[in-house]
Amino acid sequence: MTTTTAEIGGHAWEHAPIGGNYLNEGKGIKSWLFTLDHKRIGLMYLISGLTMFFIGGMLAMVIRTQLLVPNGLIFHGSYEAYKHYNQVFTLHGIIMVFMVLVPIPPGALGNFVLPLMIGAKDVAFPRLNLLSYYLYVTGAIMAVVSTLLGAVDTGWTFYTPFSIQTETYVVWMVLGIFLLGFSSILTGLNFIVTIHKLRAPGMKWFRMPVFVWASYATSIIQVAATPVLGVTLLLLVAERVMGVGIFNSALGGDPVLFQDFFWFYSHPAVYIMILPAMGIVGEIITVFSRKPIFGYKFIVMSSLAIALIGFVVWGHHLFVNGQSAEWDAIFSFMTFFVAVPSAVKVFNWLATMYKGAISLTTPMLYALSFIVLFTIGGFTGVILGALATNVVLHDTYFVVAHFHYVMMGGTIIAFIGGLHYWWPKMFGRMYNETLGRITCVMLFIGINLTFFPQFIVGAEGMPRRYATYLPQYQPYMIASTVGAYIQLAAFVLMAGYLIHSLVRGKKAAANPWGASTLDWSMASPPTTGNFQHMPVITQGPYHYEDMEYDGRLGGFVHVEPVPALAGVGSEH
Amino acid sequence: MSFNLLHGESNLIQMMSLKLPGVLAAWGLPHSDAVTSPDVQFLWDFILGVAVFFTVLIVVLMVYFSIRYHAKTKNQVGDHGHTHNTPLELTWSIIPLILLMIMFVLGFKYYLNIDTVPSGAYKIDVQAKQWSWTFVYPNGGISDKLYLPAGRPVRLDMTSSDVLHGFWIPRLSIQKDVVPGRVMSVWIEAKKPARMWLQCAEYCGSGHSEMRAPVIVEPYAQFRKSVHAIADIWKQNGKPLSLVEVGRKLHVTLGCIACHNMTGAPGGVGPSWKNLAGSQVHDINGRIVVADYAYLKNAIIHPGHLKVKGYPRGIMPNTFAAQLKKISPNGRALDALIAYINSKSKYANQQSQPPELRKSATPVQPPVKLKSPPAKVSGLPTAALPLVAKGKLLVQTFGCTGCHSPAGAPGVGPTWKDLAGSPVTLTSGKVVTADYSYLREMILHSGKLLVKGATPGVMPGTYGAMLSGPKHPDEKKLKAIIWYLNSLSDHANKASWPPGGGGN
Repeated sequence: MTTTTAEIGGHAWEHAPIGGNYLNEGKGIKSWLFTLDHKRIGLMYLISGLTMFFIGGMLAMVIRTQLLVPNGLIFHGSYEAYKHYNQVFTLHGIIMVFMVLVPIPPGALGNFVLPLMIGAKDVAFPRLNLLSYYLYVTGAIMAVVSTLLGAVDTGWTFYTPFSIQTETYVVWMVLGIFLLGFSSILTGLNFIVTIHKLRAPGMKWFRMPVFVWASYATSIIQVAATPVLGVTLLLLVAERVMGVGIFNSALGGDPVLFQDFFWFYSHPAVYIMILPAMGIVGEIITVFSRKPIFGYKFIVMSSLAIALIGFVVWGHHLFVNGQSAEWDAIFSFMTFFVAVPSAVKVFNWLATMYKGAISLTTPMLYALSFIVLFTIGGFTGVILGALATNVVLHDTYFVVAHFHYVMMGGTIIAFIGGLHYWWPKMFGRMYNETLGRITCVMLFIGINLTFFPQFIVGAEGMPRRYATYLPQYQPYMIASTVGAYIQLAAFVLMAGYLIHSLVRGKKAAANPWGASTLDWSMASPPTTGNFQHMPVITQGPYHYEDMEYDGRLGGFVHVEPVPALAGVGSEH
Repeated sequence: MSFNLLHGESNLIQMMSLKLPGVLAAWGLPHSDAVTSPDVQFLWDFILGVAVFFTVLIVVLMVYFSIRYHAKTKNQVGDHGHTHNTPLELTWSIIPLILLMIMFVLGFKYYLNIDTVPSGAYKIDVQAKQWSWTFVYPNGGISDKLYLPAGRPVRLDMTSSDVLHGFWIPRLSIQKDVVPGRVMSVWIEAKKPARMWLQCAEYCGSGHSEMRAPVIVEPYAQFRKSVHAIADIWKQNGKPLSLVEVGRKLHVTLGCIACHNMTGAPGGVGPSWKNLAGSQVHDINGRIVVADYAYLKNAIIHPGHLKVKGYPRGIMPNTFAAQLKKISPNGRALDALIAYINSKSKYANQQSQPPELRKSATPVQPPVKLKSPPAKVSGLPTAALPLVAKGKLLVQTFGCTGCHSPAGAPGVGPTWKDLAGSPVTLTSGKVVTADYSYLREMILHSGKLLVKGATPGVMPGTYGAMLSGPKHPDEKKLKAIIWYLNSLSDHANKASWPPGGGGN
């Protein structure tokens, strides 16, 4: 895959400005495999992540096809067949959570954009950055190996004691995820140091774009929560290999302890997934409303609040397993509390649109889709956060629908929006805008058709992780499957026009959208060192009055001396 | 805070609340059959109402702004003076906060009702395993269906024998995980008779999606009849059972199966029932008798009178006579049990069957002579042979063979066949040789040297005081048992023999 990109880098941009860019400076496979450039590493993350997303997505199609009929269309008739279904949904969950949703938004977009946004030449520790990527690849390969040896059938949560008893290759898979966790920690650490130490002169904390703030909040969670996952997974390995008896009730251990440990990471991990998405949406909405983001400080503080409160809500995954009513109450309370900053963000985005000058480009449509889908996902999360309603909806399709609205409708939609937003900067090419908008609408319809019926079927009583189901749920399941196929068609279309854009796309201007953040201040694609001159920042990140559209360039240019971007003409 | 008080308050709040539009009620939860359901339904409606209101508001504003403030030219910019408004932002922070806190308080309040088991509830035990549910009623009746009385609180005490399971009856608004190693309790009060499904909600492996059980809510009088019928050994689903079928149920409910297996495997606490009826049996005095109807009857109701050789007196409880008489004073329950024993024997004949079944004449087969396997004593010092016999008797008295098979069959504890003198892996991973001191330690302090794969605390810790200590300074019985263990093992050697070579 990296070879393909290298070839693109080698041949596609003969007319790149000022002698070249990060894609063609340095040729051959080695220049990619050993690159220290944050943009190339970001691109490698992107390609790896899209590959994993493709595999996870195909597994999702298998799941949806299976559930077309109550007895199962693909796997039916025996426990052995159901086990294969269980392996499929387990792999779908593991791939999507640990190999797509957690690592890819920071790894691909964060890596590419974050140093550009703060006026840095690279991240603080480029070699560590490359190590993160290779840990990610190694972890993913171990997961593939474990799948070939004997695919895990525990669900992505690895709940004990089933994960101790099953004969599938849990240890391989868990060690793979352990490595993925290390990758995540190192990326978070790198970003924190980068943001603290490498901001350009004048880039005060409250002059950073909201995406940088979101990445900062994400990184805090990655560094603070992921070690707990690592320890938990190692304990699970010890339990399986040595029978230490921590989680195994047959040896005097406690299965619920595993759930506490697991969710201590995995709930904050939900915010690892959603915070970068919120940052992306903030950037897109201000640019395409051509108006400074409304309530910048509230948005920034809400990111930090979500990151911090997110650490103390994990117990809401344990409302039905014997946790005391007092703890239930505390975790429920904190869960409601964390909903407030999310609500604040949505209102602030809307207020940004108010009296703006809105253009409904592809990235903007994705951002608006995000707001709708995230709102539905968020409110159903409130229903699940309330104790009395939780105990009737726990472990049902209602939960499945809720987190797919947040993860697919939230993170993935925002990620794709971000990809379309930064695509011209990444590859120096424009894509077909009409097809982009059509695809976004298709995805929006597909996601709602897939997951909305699951709310109803869950409330009606269908538990999750079922290979077969009672016949009365079938109409909802059929609707859901049709929705999934619509999503598949949308993704095929998207792959088509994005590949076309790489080969034949119109050349992108330095600033095609008229954004005012630093990432659009250099040519598209950027050169290896990002900035010709060290930028000096004198004002906040969003201001649209000082630029004008130039039809010949197909992008925006500054019309007056701009204090924000005045170079000092020297290397730092 | 009493249950009723809380319940009354929540009704008050419901009465004061706004009536939600009918369109929302149309998509209500289908969880309307428990006394706690109205609370849950109310909370659901309340949150859903707020959610629909705000979602519609957000979408309408979004669409309106997109149209109203659509950029006419690329160079048009938004109102740069409109960057923040602290009072406005505080408003839309505080209003959601207040609404969310109301939801939290209601959720917790109703949850306390759901979570607090009322006293005096009818109690049913629930056993979950991969992949079935079993319900045990207070009268001892066992069923794979959950019967519930309408209008009465029921407490369910749930255990799992393998992995996590999730007890979930959607229509009764209740879900609870069944965690292995714990007793998980929930309570239910169904409002009216209905039929519904109990489904496993917590993923438990391959059969997860088919781990469900029918739930039958009945008026209390009917419920009592149903539970009585479950315990009624004579019928199944209202249909009378054959005598053999009744006997099959009895041997489970009376617990016969714990000591008498149906497979013919040696090592049971009592003789196997396989091929027993109609065969020749060595009685306790070594005489050969035929296990006919009269013999079987006597053996059950007077266990002290007729014993099989090798199975000492006093182990089998003498309570069965009374229990069987309680079930049927005319002795038909006893006959059912004997009919079942006959059904397991190829030697069953007119004489061994209970009178009721004798008309269906089965060909009489000649009694077959029992072949008793010779004890493996080769290689042991002759002086020890009487001790081997004594040890064999002792292990049966103590009931050791209930868990440890002398013949190599898997059991609760490790088999004794070829144990003495062989290597053993402990839970610590350490490999030791089962020599005399190991065997002695193992019997006296079972928890100390646990074999890999075994569960601590299963083997009673009472043998130490029975075999050693101040009352038994010379440990004669202990040594006899260890001699017996040696006789069962091809690996027995001087190190695994008790000291003294049987001379003491």
